[in-house]
Amino acid sequence: MSKRTKENTHTVIMIGAGPAALSAAIYTTREDIETMLVEKGVPGGLAAVTDWVDNYPGFPEGLAGLELAGNLQKQAERFGAVIDFGEVTALHDEGEWKRLETTLGDLYAKVVLVATGSDYKKLGIPGEVQYYARGVHYCATCDGAFYRDKRLVVVGGGNSAVQEAMFLTRFASHIDLMVRSKLRASDVLQKELQKFVDEGKITVHLATTTDEIVGDEDNKVVQVKGTDTKTSSPVKIDTDGVFVFVGLKPNSEFAGGQLETDEVGLIKTDENLMSSMKGVFVAGDIRSGATMQVASAVGEGATAALKIREYLEGHTINVQEEV
Amino acid sequence: MVKNITIFTTKTCAYCPMVKRYLAAKGLSYDEVNLDEEPQRQQEALAISGALTVPVTVVTRQDDSREVVVGYNLAKLAPAIA
Repeated sequence: MSKRTKENTHTVIMIGAGPAALSAAIYTTREDIETMLVEKGVPGGLAAVTDWVDNYPGFPEGLAGLELAGNLQKQAERFGAVIDFGEVTALHDEGEWKRLETTLGDLYAKVVLVATGSDYKKLGIPGEVQYYARGVHYCATCDGAFYRDKRLVVVGGGNSAVQEAMFLTRFASHIDLMVRSKLRASDVLQKELQKFVDEGKITVHLATTTDEIVGDEDNKVVQVKGTDTKTSSPVKIDTDGVFVFVGLKPNSEFAGGQLETDEVGLIKTDENLMSSMKGVFVAGDIRSGATMQVASAVGEGATAALKIREYLEGHTINVQEEV
Repeated sequence: MVKNITIFTTKTCAYCPMVKRYLAAKGLSYDEVNLDEEPQRQQEALAISGALTVPVTVVTRQDDSREVVVGYNLAKLAPAIA
């Protein structure tokens, strides 16, 4: 455990640098509240690896997720937010101070905003780990280009699966969309999907589980095995690759049970977006009750920032003076 | 000492600008192979990295030894350019 120093002490530390944290940081830094963000991946989080965002207000034509993420980051940095890259592995309540164990060393803050979001879930089927990044993928914008004129399977029936399947038609000759039960994507996306189905670019397999990813002697993915749950008959689809989008897993492990969570691991908050640990606020996809939308994450970030400001009233804003 | 660095990227990959920004912050120049613009070099990226993904960063040292870093992985990239 490191001691508190000027270097490792901050007024506000935000865990994560996705839309919720970056929005919160725009507000806090504009209020001259010194703010540091700790990001383990890419600023913008899942938004940054999403091909296209069509439902973010203010952009009538939509915009690339990467562009939105970049703009949020630039805006936060313009007001003085500092993003450092590392992973928070534990959080400790030390009264006036919160201590974060991170790969950058121990960090201290008066206030912490947890905005760690979520990651794509894995299928947990044979072949998934074996062929990871060699035929099994979770990021269409990163890896789609390797499948020019190839056949692909996309697994999932939610917004992400449908959206990324449509994105992958830029590269792949054909896409089979394997949906465990029925499509859960928004009506708008389903209508858009239908155009690709009508053009013969995407085939949708409803009520079909994905059971195994099969490779050949060259260690390449060649087939996906599943089951038609209505007839219980086996389904075999020849493919060159599999992209998996089957829901989200909350990034709350770092809290080690110190913050109260719901049954799926999302962090519970009160009406002020404060967690069960005083001085620790929560915003975005990681918050229990969140709607998993970029627009609502941004809104929650702004709300959290205002609540943080209220919380800090009466505290010394320049914590460096207290070190 | 680093002799040269090549990064295989695509236009839509979010992690690619992160690697480029990191290297730029360290004052290192690099060659970029954009696989959207040069799809014929995908097999080269695969052969070097063993993975169908980007970014792939290839760091060649003065003694011609080579370090290949797959993805945005600072734990591997930092020592590779040290």
